Amino acid sequence: MPTRSPPLSRRPRPFRPPYASAHVPHPTSGSLWPPAPVSAHVFACLPGASYRNAGMAALLRPARFLLRAADGSHLPPALRLLPRGLQSQARHYAIAAENRWTEEPTFSSRRVGGQFDWALERLDNSVRRTGRIPRSLLQKVFTNTCHSGTPGGNQALLLLRSCGSLLPELEFSERTKLAHVIWEKLQKLGTVYDVSHYNALLKVYLQNGYKFSPMDFLAQMEAANVQPNRVTYQRLIAAYCNVGDIEGASKILGFMKTKDIPVTEAVFSALVTGHSRAGDMENAENILTVMSEAGIEPGPDTYLALLNAYAEKGDMDHVRQTLERVTTSELYLMDRDLLQIIFSFSKAGYPQYATEILGKLTHERRYIPDAMNLILHLVTEKLEDVAFQVLVAIPMSKEDRLSDFGNFFLRHCVAMNTSAEKLKEYCKKLQETQLHSSPLQFTLHCALLAKKTDLVKELLKALKEEGFPIRTHYFWPLLVGHLKEKNVQGIIDLLKMMKEMGVNPNKETYFSYVLPAFESSESLQAALKENDCLSEESISILSQIQMKHEAENGNLDYFFSFLKSNPTELLLGTSLKNSLILCFRRSKNVTLWSKITELLYNGGLCQETSRHKEAVGYFLYSLIDSMSDSEVQAKEEHLRQYFHQLKEMNINISENIYRGIRNLLDSHHVPDLIKDIRMLISKTDSQNSVQQFASSELESTLERLKDENQPIKDVLKKLILKLCSEENMQKALELKAKYESDMSVGGYAALINLCCQKNNIEDGLALKQELERLDSSVVLDTGKYIALVRVLTKEGKVQDAINILKEMKEKNVLIRDSTALSFFHILNDAALRGEVDTVNQLHEAIVTLGLAKPTLYTVSPLVTVHLAKDDLPAAVNVCFKCYQKYKVLPRFHDVLCKLLEKGETDLVHKAMGFVTEEQGEMTMLYDLFFAFLHTGNYKEAKKIIETPGIRARPSKLQWFCERCISNNQVETLEKLVELTEKLFECDRDKMYYSLLKLYKINDDWQKADAVWNKMQEENVIPRGSTLRLLAQILKNNNQEVPFDVPELYEDENDFLSSPSSPETETYFHIDLLSACKLQKHKDAYQIFLKAQKQNIVFNSDTYSSLIKLLLSKDDFTNAMHVKSVAETHIKGFTLNSAASSILITAQVRRDYLKEALETLSAVCSQEQLPSNISVTRLVQACALKGDVDSVQAVQRMVSGLEDTLRLSSMLFINNTALAQIKNNNIDVAVEQIENMLTSGDQAISPQYFGLSYLFRKVIDQKLDPALEKITIMAERLANQFAVYKPVTDLFLQLVEHGKVDDARDLLQRCGAIAEQIPIFRVFFIRNSRRKGMVPVLNCVLELIPELLENEDLYCLLMKSYAMSKDVASANALYTQLMAKNMPLSNLFLKRYAILLKSCGKPVPFEEPPESFEFYINQQKESRESV
Amino acid sequence: MAARVARGAVRTVAFIRGIPWTVSAGELRQHFAQFGHIRRCNLPFDKDTGFHRGLGWVQFSSEEELNNVLQHDKHVIDGVKLMVLSQRPKALQGGQASDEDKDL
Repeated sequence: MPTRSPPLSRRPRPFRPPYASAHVPHPTSGSLWPPAPVSAHVFACLPGASYRNAGMAALLRPARFLLRAADGSHLPPALRLLPRGLQSQARHYAIAAENRWTEEPTFSSRRVGGQFDWALERLDNSVRRTGRIPRSLLQKVFTNTCHSGTPGGNQALLLLRSCGSLLPELEFSERTKLAHVIWEKLQKLGTVYDVSHYNALLKVYLQNGYKFSPMDFLAQMEAANVQPNRVTYQRLIAAYCNVGDIEGASKILGFMKTKDIPVTEAVFSALVTGHSRAGDMENAENILTVMSEAGIEPGPDTYLALLNAYAEKGDMDHVRQTLERVTTSELYLMDRDLLQIIFSFSKAGYPQYATEILGKLTHERRYIPDAMNLILHLVTEKLEDVAFQVLVAIPMSKEDRLSDFGNFFLRHCVAMNTSAEKLKEYCKKLQETQLHSSPLQFTLHCALLAKKTDLVKELLKALKEEGFPIRTHYFWPLLVGHLKEKNVQGIIDLLKMMKEMGVNPNKETYFSYVLPAFESSESLQAALKENDCLSEESISILSQIQMKHEAENGNLDYFFSFLKSNPTELLLGTSLKNSLILCFRRSKNVTLWSKITELLYNGGLCQETSRHKEAVGYFLYSLIDSMSDSEVQAKEEHLRQYFHQLKEMNINISENIYRGIRNLLDSHHVPDLIKDIRMLISKTDSQNSVQQFASSELESTLERLKDENQPIKDVLKKLILKLCSEENMQKALELKAKYESDMSVGGYAALINLCCQKNNIEDGLALKQELERLDSSVVLDTGKYIALVRVLTKEGKVQDAINILKEMKEKNVLIRDSTALSFFHILNDAALRGEVDTVNQLHEAIVTLGLAKPTLYTVSPLVTVHLAKDDLPAAVNVCFKCYQKYKVLPRFHDVLCKLLEKGETDLVHKAMGFVTEEQGEMTMLYDLFFAFLHTGNYKEAKKIIETPGIRARPSKLQWFCERCISNNQVETLEKLVELTEKLFECDRDKMYYSLLKLYKINDDWQKADAVWNKMQEENVIPRGSTLRLLAQILKNNNQEVPFDVPELYEDENDFLSSPSSPETETYFHIDLLSACKLQKHKDAYQIFLKAQKQNIVFNSDTYSSLIKLLLSKDDFTNAMHVKSVAETHIKGFTLNSAASSILITAQVRRDYLKEALETLSAVCSQEQLPSNISVTRLVQACALKGDVDSVQAVQRMVSGLEDTLRLSSMLFINNTALAQIKNNNIDVAVEQIENMLTSGDQAISPQYFGLSYLFRKVIDQKLDPALEKITIMAERLANQFAVYKPVTDLFLQLVEHGKVDDARDLLQRCGAIAEQIPIFRVFFIRNSRRKGMVPVLNCVLELIPELLENEDLYCLLMKSYAMSKDVASANALYTQLMAKNMPLSNLFLKRYAILLKSCGKPVPFEEPPESFEFYINQQKESRESV
Repeated sequence: MAARVARGAVRTVAFIRGIPWTVSAGELRQHFAQFGHIRRCNLPFDKDTGFHRGLGWVQFSSEEELNNVLQHDKHVIDGVKLMVLSQRPKALQGGQASDEDKDL
C-alpha cells in the first residue's frame, strides 16, 4: 500500500475542528490518560448485584487499542469519520491509509482512488466548515460513488458514517432510512462489508435512536460470516442501555467476558445511561464507584453520561452538584459536552435550564460548528426557542458581524415549518442585534425555495410593514411551482395575492410564469377578468405578449398586416423591433421578409422617409446581430435571396451600416455573404468613401480655394492634421503662420501636441497661449495637457508646468488612470535626472490640485530622486514623511537594499524602528528579510525568517516572488523558496509555482525538473495549475512528462470490437470529432479506418474536419484517402473552405501546383473563400516557376475578393514581375512597375509600394542581370520621380543579404535613402523581433550613422540586442548614446538592465523600478495618446 | 453598430457577481445608471426555479463609463456588496501580417 503524501501545504488551519481536538487529553486528566488497561468483572453489572461488595476480580488486561474517545457515544461521528491525533489536513490521507486495511486490494484502481479523494474532500470540508453534511451533498457523493463502478470499502465506510448526527437537518428516521438505502445499494454493487461497516452502521443506529434488536444484529453478522469485535459489543451494550435494558446489556457483557474482551470506560458510561433510563438513578450514580473499584477512574465521558441522565430528569440541582464534582476531580468538560446537556434538558421538557448551562460555555470558536449542529438539531426537534437562545449566545467576532449570521437557523426553521410568528420574531431580534442585515429577506428566500406560500405571504406583509419594497420577481419562484403542475388556480391565487400586495405583474411575469399555463392569451385575459385582476396595464402587456408570441411562431403575416394597418408603428419601437426580428428569424419566408422590409423602408405615407431608410439599415444590422453563428450559417442562402430581393426593390443602406454588417458577417464566419450585402450600399455613399487625401493634394486644394476666395478653414484643418500625423512640424508651423486667421481649435491642438513631441517648447507654449487668447474656454485633450507638462518639466520650466496643471484643474479636464500614470512618469523622469526641487514642487501641485491621489506609485519619485543622487539619509527621511503624510512607504525595499549595501547600520536601525512602530514587527521582519535576500545576505535572511512566531504573509511573499520573476532574479527566488520551507503556514505549492514560472521564462527545464523532485521530497502536493505549468516546460523542451496525463480513449478498444449499431456510430462520430479537436491526427485516422471496416459513414463536416486535421499535420496521403472515401460515400462531397485552403497549401508544399490551382478554382466557383495564406503561397510558388499565366489566373479568380481576403496589394505586382523575370522578360517587368509608379492614376501610393519581396527573391536566386536592371529602375524612380521607397527597400535588401558594398555604392549614388526614416523604422520594427538580425541592423547603422539620432530606431536596436543577448553591442550603443546625451526612455533602460542582469553584469544606472510590461504599456499608451 | 465594434475592440461590459436574490434587472439597471448610459442590462432568471443565479451583465456605451464603474469603491444594492469585474473582450481576429514581406 503506497504511503499517502501529506497535504498541499503544511499549514495547520487556525481553526481546529472539534473532532480534531477530541484526542487531546484534558489538561487535568493526568493519570487517566492513557486509560488504564483494565477489564471489570462482568457480573458486577448485573441487575441487583451490589456494586460495593462486587469483589469482582478485576482482570487486568493489556488494552492497547483502547482510546477513550473511540466510542464515547456523545461524540459526533466525525470521530469515526476522521481519525484522531492528526492535524486536520493530514487527516485525509491518514484515513485513506487507515481505511485501506479494510479495502480489497483490487479496488485500488486510479479512478476509484480519485473518486474516494473527491468524496472525502467534499464531506470533510463540509464537516470542517459547518460541523455537518447537507443532505444534498451526501446524496451527490452517494450517486457519484455508485457511478464509479464497485465502490471500495473505504467509500462505503465514508458514506455510512455520514448518516448519523452529521445530518442534524434530517429527522432520525430519515437518517436511518438513508443509511439503509446506502447499505443495500452498495451491497448490490458488490461492496464487501467487514466488521468496520457493521460497526459504522451500529453507530448510526445509536446516533439516530433507532430501535433494533442487538441480538438480531449479531445474528446477521454471523450469517454474513463477520466476526464482531470489541467495538461491536460496546455499541450493542449502548443500544441496550439507551432503552434502559440492563438485562440485555448484561447479556452482551457476558459475551465479552467469554471472549476475554476488556471493558472500557465507554461501557461504564453506557451503563450509567442504562440505569438512568431504567429509572434507577441510584445505580446509575453507583457505576462511578464500581469503576473506581475496577481501577478505572471516571472520566469526562462518564460524568457527561451522568449529567445527561440528571438533565433528562430535569434535576438541575444534581446537575450543578455533578458539575461541581467534575471540577473538583480536576476534570474538564468541553463546550460540546455542555451543549449536549442543554439538549438533554430541552428535549426532556426543561428548556428553562438552558440559560444557566449556556453561561458555563467558554465560547471557543472551534466549538461553533458544534453549536450550529445543536441548534439545527433543536429545531428539528421543534425546540426553536432554545435553538434561538443558543444561536444568539454564539460568540461573534467583529468581522463576523458584518456577514449575515443565523442563515442556517432560519433556513432550517422554514424547512421544519416553524410558525411565521416565531420566525418574524427571530428576524426582528437578529436585525436588532445586528447579527443579520436582512433576516426577513433571507427567510423569504428560504420560504420561496421551499414553496411555502402561506409563510411567504406572512413574510411579505412583514416586509411591507418594515417599509421594504415588494418586487414582482419575488412571486416568480412560487409561480414556477404552479406552472410546472399546470395549476391554474394556484397561479390565479398568486396573482390575486400580488394585487393584494400592490404589486403589478410585469411583462416577464405574464410571459414566462403565467401565460404558459393557459391555452392562449385570450383565455388568460378572460381568467384575469373573471378574477378581477385585469388592469389597463395588464391589457397592454398582454397585447405585447401576443405580438411576441406571434413572433415566436414566425407568423410574419401577422406583422405584415399589423404594420400595414398601423403605419405609425413603422419606425419600430424597441419592443416591436425585437419582436419583428425574432419573427424574421423564426420564419423562412424570404418574400415576406422583403415585403415587410420594403414597407418599413417606404414608411407608408410618412414624410420622414430618410428616417425610415436609416431605420431599415439599423434593422438589418440588428437582425444579423441577433442571430448566432450557426443560425447565420444555416440561413446563408435565405439571407442571400433576401439581399437580392432588397436590391431589386431598390432598398439601399449607408456605407456605415454596410461596414457594420460586414464585420458581423465576418465574425459569423459567412464572409461569402459580404458581397451580397455590398450591393445594397447607396451610390452616393460609395462615392464618398474614398481614401484619405495626401498632404500635397490638400495643399493644392487649399491654394485653389484661397485663390477662389472660398472658405479654407476645413481644408486647412485637414492639412494641418495631416502634416502633424506626418510629423512635419516645420511645414505645419509655416502654414499656421500663413493662414493664422483661419486656424481652428483642432489645428491648434494638433500643432501643440506635435511641438511637444518634438520638444519644441517655445512654439508649443506660444501656440497654447495664443489659443488661450483666442478662446479661453477651450479644453484640450488630457493627453495634450500632459504632453505640455512633460516637456515643460523636462525643460526646467516648472512654474509653467504647474500653471498648466492649474488650468487642467480649472477646466475640469478628464483624469483617467493613464493620466495618473503619466504624472508618475513625468515625476519619475525628473527624479531620475536628480531634480529634487522639480519633483517636489510638481508633486505637491498635482496632489494639492487633486489631479492624482497620492499612491505608492505617484509618491515614489519623491524617494527615487534621492536614490538617484545616492543621498540615502534624505531618501529615508522622505520615506518616513510620505508615510506620515500619505500612509505609504514608497520604494522602501529599494531604500533598505541600498542601506544594506552601503553598510549604513544606523540608518537601517532607524528605518526598522520606524516600520516596527508604524506597521508592526512582522512587517519589519519581512522588509528586512527581502532586503537581505535581494542583497545576497542569505545567512542574515535565514536568521530573520527563523524568528520564532513569524508566519507566512501570503501577499508579501507573492509580491516578492513576482518582483523576482519580473526582474528575472533566479538565485534570489530560489533562495526565497528554500528559506521559507519551514515557515509556518507557508503555501509551498504557491512558492514552487512562482519558481516554475521563472524557469518557464528562462526555459530552464532541468531546474523545473529539479523542482518536481524537490516538491516530492518536501511532500508538497502540487495543485493542478502547478503540474500543468511543469508539464508545459518539459513538453516545450521535448522532455517526457513524468506524471499522469489522463487518456481520452481508455475504453476505446472495448466498443470497437462490438458490432456496429446506431450507438456505436455515434460513439465513432463523437470520438472522431474529439480526436480532431485534440489534434490527435493518428488517433483520428485510426478511428476513421475502424469505422471504415464497419461500414460506418460520417457526415461531410466530419470528413472535412478529419481531412483538415490530416493536412495540417502534413499527412497528405491519408488525407487524400479520406477525401476519396468521402467522395464515394457522399454524393457531391466538397470540402469546406477551411479544409480546401489547407489542401491548397499542402498541394503547393508538395509542388502539385496544377492540382492546387484546380482546388482554388473549385473553391472560388463554389463561392467559398480561400484563406489568405493558401492564395499567397500558390501565387508565390507559381511566380518562382516563372508561370506568369498561373499568377494572372489566380488574380482573376480572386478578383474582387482582395479586400475580403486581406491579400497584400503588392502580392500580384511582385509576383507577376518575378514570374516575368524568371521568364527572362526583365524589361517587361521593369516597365510595368515603372508605369505603375509614374502614371497619373496610382492604385497604390508610392510609400506603400513595397518591392522587398521581389528584390529579395531576385537576390536570393542570384538573378544578377535582373538585379542590375531593377537597381537602375529604383535609382531612376528616386532621382527622376522622387519615389524613394523602391530604392530604400533595395538598399535594405542588399544589406540584409550581405551585399554591403553594393548597398554602400547605392547609398552614395542616392543619398536620399538616408532620409527615409519611416521606412527604416518599419524595417527595424520587423527585424528587431527576429533572431540573428543584429548584424544586419548594425550594418545599416554603420552605413547611415545618423539614423542613431532617431529615438525610435535606437530603442528598436536595443530591443534587437536584448533579443540576441548581445551585451557588447548593447554596451557600445549605451555608451554612444550617453556620449551624445541622447534621451533614454525607461523602456530602453529597462530592456538594457534586464539584458545586463541576465548575463550577470552589473547595471551601471538606476534601473527603472517597474516591470518590463509596465513600460511597454506606457509606451503604447503614449503612442495612442499621440 | 458601435456596440458590436465596441464589443470587439474595447471593453464596455461589466460582469457582476454576487447579486442578491432580491434584486432584479430593474434594480441593477437603476444602480448602474449613475455611471453612464446603459446599453444592455442582463440578469438571467432560471425559468426552472424563478430565481436568478446572482450573475449579471451590464453593457455601457463606452469604456470610460465602464471604468467609472470599476473605479467605484463599492457597489452595494440592498445592503449587499456586489463583485464587479470587467468582462474580457472577445479575442480579436488575427491581425493582418505585413504586406510585401511575407515569405511564406
